[in-house]
Amino acid sequence: MTETGGAGTAGELDRVVADLRALSEDIESCAVLSGDRDLLSSSHDSAVDRERAGALLSALLDLSDRAAREGGKDQATQLRVDVGEGHLLLVRLDGGGVLAATTGSDARVGLVLYDMRNARGEVDRVLAEGGDQ
Amino acid sequence: MKKLLRRLVILGAIAGGIYAVRSYLRGETSATGSAQMVFDDGSTRSLASNTAEGRELVDIARRIVEIGL
Repeated sequence: MTETGGAGTAGELDRVVADLRALSEDIESCAVLSGDRDLLSSSHDSAVDRERAGALLSALLDLSDRAAREGGKDQATQLRVDVGEGHLLLVRLDGGGVLAATTGSDARVGLVLYDMRNARGEVDRVLAEGGDQ
Repeated sequence: MKKLLRRLVILGAIAGGIYAVRSYLRGETSATGSAQMVFDDGSTRSLASNTAEGRELVDIARRIVEIGL
């Protein structure tokens, strides 16, 4: 699931993401993207799917950063996109990366974002210890 | 002359009807999706999908929701 440098960091990151998914049942899939736009953790096992998800997530972040700059801001700390069929939720990490999750259309989005913000500190800690950001 | 005027009125009504239907359909399509950004100072910015930025964000997000992360 994770393809970061150290096996310890990879395992830790997988554990944090798995804990988040267990805590927040409305989350359908979850990923961690580093500040360098590397997909560090994903719900996908297939390399092709991971690459595709990472590329789309990276493109979305670039768009979000551009929209923030146009509004005179640095970058968004949180992004919520409602697409009708579901939601895409992003919470910014310390090193510029993001913790991202998708949910169904009837998810309790506020609660999911709350859980994601709580998990952010743990993801930051794991990445800082592993030196991935 | 009267006949020509009547035809013009009919043509105008048809064109108006087509324009109204097109606008309605476009409006309905653009209503599906929105993005909300929150910044570190607590301020927010909402982007509806009837704006260029919002539409791009929603389109990419929709693909991500479809394939999962």
